Amino acid sequence: MSVAADVREQSRARYPDEEGYVERDGVRVFYEVYGDGEPTILLLPTWALIHSRHWKLQIPWLARHCRVVTFDGRGNGRSDRPHGAEAYTIREFAADTLAVMDATATERAVLVGVSCAALWGVVLAAEHPERVAGAAFIGSAVPLAPPLPERTVYPFDERLDTDDGWAKYNLHHWLTDYRNFLEFFIGKCFTEPHSTKPIEDAIGWAHETTPEVLADHDAGIDLPIGGDFRELCRRVRCPVLVMHGDEDALHSHARGVALAEATGGQLVTLEGSGHFPQARDPVMINLLLREFVERLP
Amino acid sequence: MALDVAPAREQTRARYPDESGYVERDGVRVFFEVYGTGPRTVLLLPTWSIIHSRQWKGQIPYLARHFRVVTFDGRGNGRTDRPLEPAAYDEREFAADALAVLDATATARATIVGYSLGAQRGLILATDHPERVEGAIFIGPSYAGGGKPLDERARFTWEDEHDTDEGWAKYNKHFWLRDYRGFVEFFFSRLFRERHSTKQIEDCVGWALETTPEMLVAAQYGQLLAPEEARKLAEKLHCPLLVVHGRSDEIAHYTRGEALAEHGRGEFVLVEGGGHAPHARDPVVFNLLVHEFVERLR
Repeated sequence: MSVAADVREQSRARYPDEEGYVERDGVRVFYEVYGDGEPTILLLPTWALIHSRHWKLQIPWLARHCRVVTFDGRGNGRSDRPHGAEAYTIREFAADTLAVMDATATERAVLVGVSCAALWGVVLAAEHPERVAGAAFIGSAVPLAPPLPERTVYPFDERLDTDDGWAKYNLHHWLTDYRNFLEFFIGKCFTEPHSTKPIEDAIGWAHETTPEVLADHDAGIDLPIGGDFRELCRRVRCPVLVMHGDEDALHSHARGVALAEATGGQLVTLEGSGHFPQARDPVMINLLLREFVERLP
Repeated sequence: MALDVAPAREQTRARYPDESGYVERDGVRVFFEVYGTGPRTVLLLPTWSIIHSRQWKGQIPYLARHFRVVTFDGRGNGRTDRPLEPAAYDEREFAADALAVLDATATARATIVGYSLGAQRGLILATDHPERVEGAIFIGPSYAGGGKPLDERARFTWEDEHDTDEGWAKYNKHFWLRDYRGFVEFFFSRLFRERHSTKQIEDCVGWALETTPEMLVAAQYGQLLAPEEARKLAEKLHCPLLVVHGRSDEIAHYTRGEALAEHGRGEFVLVEGGGHAPHARDPVVFNLLVHEFVERLR
């Protein structure tokens, strides 16, 4: 597939009512606020590969029912792109989230995250229960079950003599043929037929950052969080909803199962869904989210 | 483009009909559906029988929230009979079916919506029975009364054997009978010129495979409106008229729609970047136009 990177922003079904920046240690993070209902749903950033527009099919609908806050994770969108793994740790993303909540006068929120957003989502829910009314995680990239075997074959840092399949998930390949990596990886993200549009969108957003940032983010996620992740999951007391596609080709369904178990949350298995159901089956995800929010105490 | 197996099972629907049934004319059973209630009825007409009434799936659930919606499968596809006599496919037969469906559903008056060939039967219905049609909307009309032909399509005759199967040479009786699927895949890939149309193409290919090339061949011999006749009907139209046409339509040049709007003294909306079926690819844009049009009839 050949897709032209389109960095002009597309028109939106709904525009933010408020937007701004928070700054932490010299890193500026861009946020948006939509609507004014109750409660607040905070749509978390995920890996810096993409930015907050990945919630474009949630925002307009959710904002009719709730207040919606979202922000671009450091490394993409209108947020800064600092250098070094230390700038991209799980705790930095958790701290950015709290800073955005403070800046938007959001005392408590329902956190919603896709893929590695579950890492900072769990930290926040476990350590700041007074700020988190509930947490919903989609396609969670959590280290509670083994990675998919095909993803463990090749080392990330070493030069390889192949760029077949998951060998593309390699720093040297990223630096020599970023687009080729994106087309492979984002293709794996959307296993559903008729995904050409979300694939094109994601490739466009990925071109708004660099492979160097992604490598820093990967390394940052791997830095210790000062405790065991499973233990953090067990400390979560708020209602948790875990949604995971049974055809997720990036993070196994078993990871979603394990996250629901460790947090005492509810598991919803999405039949036939890949890693990004919020983009491919937005109606289903939106209704699940609304139902979850309405059931909150 | 490689296409996998088209699903023959019907897909789930966002909205199911409140009523359905058959009308019979000269031994041909025609299947209709009714959705919603309300003082205003929108009648979604059949187009070329290569597809059937599910082509309106992007319209029905939305329109039925605001109006009563009636649709039916044109003879040759869907749950309607597939006669093999060419005369059964005259444009006037489709118009007569539409009238029979209006009667069977106790619909005194309706706004008609016709897509492509649907414009021909729509013009006949609206001018023969002006008391039954309170407004007419045509999308990508195949209107012979004006506008430009597409050079690419005019290069090959439909009835003769050609020594090539390339491109529009596939729009050919012999090719249809030899490789129906090949034709259908070609045709719908030209019909949808917008990017990200894989779903719409797959749907249409599936519906086309519910009927046969023999039916299409028979229908091809049915009587179309001649250019002067089409223009006369357009000029005779008395109801409000809206014509919507994609600028990138490769099946019917957009100047066809422009001419129809002019001859019928109606409004013309050109969809930039649109192919032959903007109602399927940009349903929100089209549905809002229909909503606004029908509301204005009050």
